[in-house]
Amino acid sequence: MAGISEKRSGAYTLLAYVTLIVISIFCVLPFVWMALASIDSNVQLFLKWPDSVTFDHYTKVFAEENGVRWFANSLFTVLSATFIVMVVAGLGGYALSRSKAWWKQPFLYAILLIRVLPSTALLVPLYKILLTANNGIGTVLRPLVGEHYRFVMQLFGFIDGYLGLIIVLATGQLPLALWIMKVFFDGVPKDYEEAAILDGATLVQRIRRVLIPLALPGLAAAGLFAFMSAWGDFLLPLILLSSPELQTLPIGLFRAFLRVNEIDYGLLAALATIYLIPAVIAFSFARRFLVQTFSGGVKG
Amino acid sequence: MAFDAFQKRKERQLLWLLLPALVPLLILTIYPALYAVYLSMTNEALTGVAAAKPRFVGAANYLRLFSDGRFWNSLFVTFVFVVGSAIIGQFVLGFISAMALRRKIVGAPVFGAAILLPNAAPEVVAGFMWISMLAGGDHATLSKILVFFGLPYVDWLQTFPLFMVVMVNTWRGIGTAMILLTAGLAAVPAEVYEAARMDGANPRQMFMRITLPLMAPTIFLYMLISTVSTISVFGLVYALTRGGPGNKTEVISVYIYNQSFAAFQIGYGAAGAVVALVVSLALGIAYVRSLKVEV
Repeated sequence: MAGISEKRSGAYTLLAYVTLIVISIFCVLPFVWMALASIDSNVQLFLKWPDSVTFDHYTKVFAEENGVRWFANSLFTVLSATFIVMVVAGLGGYALSRSKAWWKQPFLYAILLIRVLPSTALLVPLYKILLTANNGIGTVLRPLVGEHYRFVMQLFGFIDGYLGLIIVLATGQLPLALWIMKVFFDGVPKDYEEAAILDGATLVQRIRRVLIPLALPGLAAAGLFAFMSAWGDFLLPLILLSSPELQTLPIGLFRAFLRVNEIDYGLLAALATIYLIPAVIAFSFARRFLVQTFSGGVKG
Repeated sequence: MAFDAFQKRKERQLLWLLLPALVPLLILTIYPALYAVYLSMTNEALTGVAAAKPRFVGAANYLRLFSDGRFWNSLFVTFVFVVGSAIIGQFVLGFISAMALRRKIVGAPVFGAAILLPNAAPEVVAGFMWISMLAGGDHATLSKILVFFGLPYVDWLQTFPLFMVVMVNTWRGIGTAMILLTAGLAAVPAEVYEAARMDGANPRQMFMRITLPLMAPTIFLYMLISTVSTISVFGLVYALTRGGPGNKTEVISVYIYNQSFAAFQIGYGAAGAVVALVVSLALGIAYVRSLKVEV
């Protein structure tokens, strides 16, 4: 009796191995192609071992294309947005956790619902709002900065400027981050703050000395998810940026791919690998927080 | 009395802390959503006469939308995309992986990491990798595999475009399904299985009578979440096919994009956007209600 069920269990285990191996190969195969193609001196569209290993494609990304610029733009906008998200969601999440006011529940429902709105559907009105804001700030800045107008607008413009992209990217990551921070602060006992209040600490002191140190793990999780999502975003830079100096990695990759007559797969593979690596690193850290975000947030 | 005043002051302070989050969310998400409704009732455009002087046109955009075959096509494509990739593909493969990883598997973390890897890939990278796997006729990797087994090769993105888009999105989401369902499986108490084994239940019976019913709430939540998030997928499809060939893979988000930013018909595109907003909101409300969020 025991023999049969053991044999059967063994068969199921074997089946489990086969299934896992097949699914894993399906999942990893495109990455293998990309990694090999990025160092293959004779790139082909199909998966093969490199004829000889070369780093020319990587050199080309930085020497012939604007790889450095794209990478720097991506890093700057995404890190700025992530930083803003951490600060704003840290404060807001604390307020949402501690408040007992009437607005708390509607606000929490609202941020869950904001997460389900498709960003393509919001894009047109968003673009018009940003355009108005851009004209407004342009009117103010033009007399002030004179001949540097174009440069200043690339920094502070809402359309085709860093500031606009950063703010919109950050806002998009806020709902999940607020949720993560709210849930996180729910788990932090109030004793510490109450002790600080009894000691006569002001709100600012309480935030700096007590809450920020306590909140660091939560902020790390919120920041990681904000970074990953903003780093992978393609739609916003596609719509909001047009100057070549402002292009980010996803757009650089996409545009390079559209040059139909002269697609250089080695170059593209190297560029895509460069773009992929920070995402994978962030994801490997964020992985253990993944389940928690499901319970309250929406899949990102 | 003094306590009341203290409480009031504290609440006011908290509201100040929330303000930096509240303001951008109001201006950049809630207001655009409402503005989309307004725009959808105008003939607003990016170029031409309507760009200078947009007029209120009432329901005209919606009437046009509902008689536009391309719009219905995009709804159909979106439906196939969601059902094929989120409801069937990701869920089935994710569930199978989660079940398999419950056994004592050597190298389980490696399998887990491999299955999660596509989730980390940015949409454009995913699109690029899969074009390379699928395009190029007999040169494509997938074709090479077929030829290896003695089958004729296929130009995948031309012959089965929608199926390929579904497959690539499935590929991208198996990991998240697996993680969520693993958490759900872990919540099923081991004693239940133990008791069933005592009663002589076989694995199939245990799966049908215990695992599935106990997992039903988790599965339902997962389906809602993944449906909503799949409706809003844009970058992956756009990078892979840009909606083509023809309009065979034009999901609703690509349709809205094409109408607004390629054809410059902002008012008309907004009508499509409102339809997408309403559907997503309805699903979102169902999600929030079934979640019974503790707030």
